[in-house]
Formats: sequence, C-alpha cells, structure tokens
Amino acid sequence: MPLVNNKVGNDCTVSADKALVDEKALVDSLIKVVACYRHLASCVGGCTDSLQLRDELRQTREKAQMLAVVIRDHLTSHLRNKRLPEVQRKEMEIHWVAFSSSLELLHVDMCKVFYIGDIFSSANTDTLVKTGIQGGGSEVAARALSLPDLNQAQSPTLPAGLESQERTTMEQEISQIDHMIDDMEMKVNVMRWMVEPHGPQYAEPLSSTDSASLALLSVDEEQPGHQPLCQRSQIFVLLLLFAVVLVAATLSICIVFFS
Amino acid sequence: MTIRNTLRDHGQRYRPRMACLKKTEKVLLEMQDPKTGVRSQPQRLVITTIPHAITGEDIIAWLADRFQVDTQEARTFGSMLVALGYIYPLQDHKRLVIKPDVSLYRFQTPYFWPTQQWPVEDTDYAIYLAKRNIRKKGILELHEQEHYNRLHKWMNHKWDFIVMQAKEQYRAAKERKKPDRVVFDCQERAYWVVHRPPPGTVSAMDYGLDRLTDPNSDEAKTPDFYERIMIFTQQSIMRPRVKSSVSIGALVKYCGTYNNHDPFLFKCLPSNPWLTDDVTYWNLNMPCVEIPTKMRVERWTFSFAELLSDPRGRDDFRLFLKKEFSGENLAFWEGCEDLKWGEAATIKEKAEHIYKTFLARGAPRWINIDGKTMEVTVKGLKHPHRYVLDPAQTHIYMLMKKDSYGRYQKSPVFKDTVKKAICPEEHNFSVAQLEQNAKKRRPSLSPIILRQMEKEQRAKMAANVDITQLCRFTTPIPHLAVYSGITDFPTATTSPSLTFLAHTPACPSPISVALDSTSASERRVEAGGGEGEGNPAARAPVCGNVSKSRMALSLRRLLKRGCTPATMFASLSPKCHSAAGTSSRIQPISPDQPSQPPPRRIGNFFQIKVDIPPECRIYPIESEDEEEESRSASRGGVGAKEIICPWESLTPQNGTG
Repeated sequence: MPLVNNKVGNDCTVSADKALVDEKALVDSLIKVVACYRHLASCVGGCTDSLQLRDELRQTREKAQMLAVVIRDHLTSHLRNKRLPEVQRKEMEIHWVAFSSSLELLHVDMCKVFYIGDIFSSANTDTLVKTGIQGGGSEVAARALSLPDLNQAQSPTLPAGLESQERTTMEQEISQIDHMIDDMEMKVNVMRWMVEPHGPQYAEPLSSTDSASLALLSVDEEQPGHQPLCQRSQIFVLLLLFAVVLVAATLSICIVFFS
Repeated sequence: MTIRNTLRDHGQRYRPRMACLKKTEKVLLEMQDPKTGVRSQPQRLVITTIPHAITGEDIIAWLADRFQVDTQEARTFGSMLVALGYIYPLQDHKRLVIKPDVSLYRFQTPYFWPTQQWPVEDTDYAIYLAKRNIRKKGILELHEQEHYNRLHKWMNHKWDFIVMQAKEQYRAAKERKKPDRVVFDCQERAYWVVHRPPPGTVSAMDYGLDRLTDPNSDEAKTPDFYERIMIFTQQSIMRPRVKSSVSIGALVKYCGTYNNHDPFLFKCLPSNPWLTDDVTYWNLNMPCVEIPTKMRVERWTFSFAELLSDPRGRDDFRLFLKKEFSGENLAFWEGCEDLKWGEAATIKEKAEHIYKTFLARGAPRWINIDGKTMEVTVKGLKHPHRYVLDPAQTHIYMLMKKDSYGRYQKSPVFKDTVKKAICPEEHNFSVAQLEQNAKKRRPSLSPIILRQMEKEQRAKMAANVDITQLCRFTTPIPHLAVYSGITDFPTATTSPSLTFLAHTPACPSPISVALDSTSASERRVEAGGGEGEGNPAARAPVCGNVSKSRMALSLRRLLKRGCTPATMFASLSPKCHSAAGTSSRIQPISPDQPSQPPPRRIGNFFQIKVDIPPECRIYPIESEDEEEESRSASRGGVGAKEIICPWESLTPQNGTG
C-alpha cells in the first residue's frame, strides 16, 4: 500500500530526522564529556590529585552516565524500529558505533581511576607522583559539564567516611556501564563491518595559533641544550639595544643642550 | 574489575604476568618521597618553567644508594625504568635509556603506567595519532603514518568517532594551562613511544604471545578447581623426595664438572662468537664434523647422555658398537627416539618397522631384552602410540650405559678420537679486527637447509647399516645384507654366532622357553633337518613360537657357522603351545615333507613365513596373508624370511579388523 506507506514514511522521516539531529548532539556531547574525563583521569595519582579533582571526576562521570542512559534509550528504540528508512538507519548505526566506543573508553577510564584512586589516597600526599602538572582540572571539568565557570568557592571536602562510600558507588557505576554495554549488544544487532563513516581520514587541523604555540613549546623542549645559550644571547642583544638607545638618547640630549 | 576488551574474540588476548611491573611501581613510589626521594628541579623553557624534572645522575645516585649497588648496575636499573615507561626523558625522547649526566627526566603519571591489567588499545593509538595529525598539520613520522593507515583500514567503522574524539580531546586540552598542556603532550608521547616503539628499537614491553586465560582474574571456586588442587597436593605428597645433601651434592658436582665448558663462565676456544663475531667455534663444533675438539670429547666422558646427545659422539659410539657387533642396541634406541619425537601419522608404521627389525623373532637385528619387557612391549604394539617402546628403550639404554659405555671409553676407537681431537688456539683480536668481524657478520645457514642435510645424513646412514649382528635366532639369510642395502654378505657371522650362543638370556623369554621345549613335530624336524642338510633348499617346518630355528641354510654356511643345523634346530625347537598360549601354525616349508601337520588357522602369536627365492632380492617386509604364505611355502628353498607382526596376523585369521 504505497499511499499508506508514503504517509507513514513521511511522518517517520520527519521524526527520524529530528531524532537524528537530537541524537547527534547527544552523542557529540557524550564524546566531549568522555574526552574531558580522560584528561581529568590522567591527573589522578599525580601531584595535583586532591579531593577537588576526585569530585570533579565524579561530577563528570555522572554527567556521562546520564547522557549514556538517554542515548541508549533513544538509539535502542529507534534501531529496533523496523520501519526505519535505510538512510536514517545508517546514520543511527554510525551513532551507535560512536556511542558504544565512547562507553568503552569511559569504562576503561573509570576502571583506571578506580584502581589508581585505590593506591593513591588523596590524604597521603607524600607518595603522589611528581608529574610536573601544576594546575588542576577545573577548566576541563567546566567544559565537560558545560558550565561557564565551575564555582570552586565551596571546595567539596568529603569526610573520610564518605570516601569508602564513594568507592562503592564507583564500583556500582562501573558495573552498570558494563551491563549497559552487554545489554546493548544483546538488544540491537549492529553489524560493525557494514557501517561506513562519512568523515575524512585525516582530521582537519584546528586553529593554527594554538598549534603554533604548542609547536614552539615542543621545539623548545627538544632542544633544551640551546636554552641557556638562547637566553644568554637574547639578554645580550637586549642589553646591546638598550645601550645603543641610551647612547642615542644622551647624544640627542647633548645636541639639544649644546645647540 | 577488568578492563573490557573490545575485540570479543575469545582468543588469546591477555597480557602475561610481568612481575617486574609491580615491583617497579613500589620503587617509583619510594622515589616520590619529598625527603628521601629523588631531588627534583624545575625545567626552564622559554616561556615558562615546569617543575619536577629530575636529572639522570640524580636518579642513578639515588638507585645506587637505595639498593646498595654500584653505579653500573644502578644505571642498568634506571634504563629499565625508562624502558618500561615509568620515567620518560625530556630530551631525545625516542631513546629510552638513562644517561648519567644532567639530561632531564620526569615521572610518568600513573594513568599511563604499563600496569598489568590494562591492555594497550589500538583505538587509543588511533586517537593519539589523529590528535598528532591535528597538531602537526598532517606531518606524522613514517611508521606512524603506516600505523595510521592500517588502523584506518581495520577500524574504519569507528573512524568518525575516532576523529571526533581526537578533536574533543584536543579542545579539552586547550582548556588547560600551557605548561600543563605541554606536560600532558609529553606524557602521552612517551607512553606511545614505549608501547608502539619505532621500528628498529627494542621494546621492554615485548612480552611474546598473549595468553588465553587472564592472569588477573580470580579463578572461580568450583568443585573442579578444588579437585585440581587436591590432585596436585596428593601428587606432591607422593613425589619421591631426595635429601638436600644428596641433591645439593649433585648440583655441586654438576657445576664443578661443567664449569669449564660453559661459555658464560669460562673462556671458550678459539673465541666466543657472540663476543668476537668470529664463527670458528661454531664451525669446529658442527654436528657432523670429522675431527671434534678436545672439549667436546671431554664432555662425552661426563655421562652417557652427553655422549648420545652429541651427534658426533653418537657416531663414534656407533662405530665402536659396530666393531663390537652390538650396533642394534643403538639403532633400536634411535628408532625409539624417532618414534617418540616424530609425526603422529607415521607412528604406526614406524612401530611396525621397529618391531620387524628389532623385536620379532628372527628379526634381522634382534635386541636382547628380558621377557617381561618384551611381553609388555608386544602387547602395547597392538595399539601403538608414542611411548609404547619406552620400557624396551629404557632397558636398552641402561644396557648400553652400564655395559658398552664403559668399554667404549677404554676402547681403541675412543682413544684414537681423543688423540686426534684438536685444541684450537685462542684468538686475540684487536679492536680494529673486532670491528671488522662485526661488519662481516653473516646469517647462518637456514634451518630448512640444515633439516635437509640432516635428513640426507639419516638416509645415508640407514642405507649403510651393516647388519653384522646376527643372533643365533636370526635367519642367516644370504640376502639379509640386501635388505639392509649392502650386497656383500657379512662374513663375520661365524664369530657372532658363537658369541651369541654364549649369550644365554638371563631371564626367561618366549624364545628361551621355546628353546627348551620339544615336540613331536620337532623330532620330525630333526629328521627333516638332517635330510635337508644336503638340500640347499631344505626347510624345516616352523612350529608356532619358534621361527628362527627353522631357517634352512646351505650346508656350507652352516658349517661356517660352526654348528650343525640339526642340533641347532633341536635345541631351538619350540613347544607348540607354549608361552603365548596360542595354537601354533606350522608352515610346510618344503614339499618333500608332507608329513608335517597342516597349518592351523587359529590366532598365532608368531608366524614366520619362510620364503626361499633362489635369487637375490630385496627383503620384503609386509604382512602377508595365508594365501601367500602357503604359496611361498610351497616354493621351497632358502631365502628371505618375512616377519609378520602378531597383530597383523590376526586380521586374516579371525576376520577381525
């Protein structure tokens, strides 16, 4: 029944399009949160490890899980809908793959944080590894939580008793993610080899200024032998310039004075 | 809690346990202590300073102090820390060694530690490469480029995700302060240098193959698990124990004996190839070299196992045994080894061949093992497997060890070898010569070629086997040598027969039992034997369990052997229904003895078919059926004897498979 189909198809496509857009946004934000979580996780156990960091981690983690649950419900319901047109299905599958990969990355990071957090309790700062990091991860956490500025005025000091509770909640969350991944595989059958990505093989380079500055820093790093020399030569040049300026100034004053 | 592996392949994907990692982590934590740890200093860059940089010499000094070792060892330990990825160099980041100067290092963050249970994922590597690509505007190193392309091909379905994640991580990094960003980049780069090393470098994380079971996971406490523990403990209790004084004494003796022969502990003549790149040592000690070195010959005197395991020693021993006419022992032992270590498909035929050559009565190279072992072996040979000849092999091995080995060491063969053995002079290479040698390094012979050479050698040896060791039960077939490949009939049979007659088996064997028995048919045989003496083609009837005695010989040969066939046959006449307990089957050998009982078809233990071709021919060893037997029996004349394995004989008779 073509007419009926068309009608249903139209409705379907419209809603599906909207759903696609929604989902893309959700998946993108999940990817962002996972990326931020990774940055924060890399600080655990280092010299900037603190209760604050742990709290930020917790908040980021909760946000990620919330997003994950929402996306999962959406995607599962859409992908199980047999009447989904092919184009949309393909898109959904790409989102699905992205979603499952993000979840897996999150799972890995959570396990690592759990394990490291176990070893390096933030109470005993003697054994924290001197990694060279100075700042905390507050900006990254702010980005993750999409807050303009993370209000750090109230530093969350968890009483000692709550730390163990924190650990158990973490364990539970990890197993939750575990189940979620398993669940997904059971419910929706996405054949990964059939999924074709749109994007380019090479990510386009982002704004040049940042990369340039970073490049500068890395160049500096790789030739530190030259550093003292550079510094000395720069200072020497500056001094020379200064001397020349001074001489010029005195000469001009003399001229003015004597003329 | 394990890291979920995304491959879901249920195959070998677990990293094996690397015990050094946990220990290294403890050391790392000790190094962090602000008071007793390693001294850190800030690293000055143009724009900013980054704290917590440590110098190589500080690390080495701390390690030497902490573990009370000398500087060289501390340096090696430090290099290990760097190679494993716990400390990374700030300059020259690709070379993972520690330099004992002011070059700077930094500790790796625990997130990037190579801890046991965190496998290194390709997805992460792909994201890292994508990020680097973004940063460096498409310039990756060659091997990174290759990796990137490969990952793009294999993880194509995730590629959108990877690119997006790389971008997001990059943007998140921008939120951090500049020095932190630099540090994080260095950390990540160091991590990937350790886990995806550039080609041509050696990685400390090279752990070989992945394992099937996860060493970190707890084993489920099922009843099976406990049963395994119980079995293990029971076996441990039942294990025979040795007093430590005895075992330590043995160790000390071993060390004392082998000390001078160990290239690690003693200088090796002419020079150690691993140190000087000069391969003379290997050439002089090739498996089949004509003249062995003195050290090698000395090793042969340490134990019998040493002698046998060295191919040159085995050759020498074989030569000695040939002179002593007990070469079949060694040949049997080698055959058993071949069976044990060979391919599974050839086990059955190898076992049969060995049986026919060494174990069966009338076998051309019969070995002397006791009755019980023989029984066990033959029974086992019905269903041959790899270790079916183990008891017999052990018996023969011990025989050789206790008897022949001692005589070998006093023999002229060995003394001759010792005299001829060479003692090469030590090389004294100068530094320039060493460099020259290093340049001239060449790969050794391909193992395929070596295997081919070995096979040729073995074939040549098999062809050259000289069956001079005939026991009194063996058919003195003129063409026995043909069977073995040599056409000249061994003329030394006179002495062996006499010596063999003297070697009465100590323990009763079916053969000896058979020897003692007589039967009515044997008397007839005697008569027939007397008749047959003058008849070169005469044959004595074979009665079940004794076969060898029934071989007819030409009179000339009999006389040469120094014993009359009649007496021989008489003494060797069997009891028809003896040890095997099966009915015998008499083979009519010559048509002029029709009075012999007709052949009985019930299960035989041994059956010897005497086939007497007048002309020279290759000794056929194959299972014959009755038809052939009777056919050949009717032919008459002296000739090759065909040995049929007992299990084969059952087939045509019982009609079973």
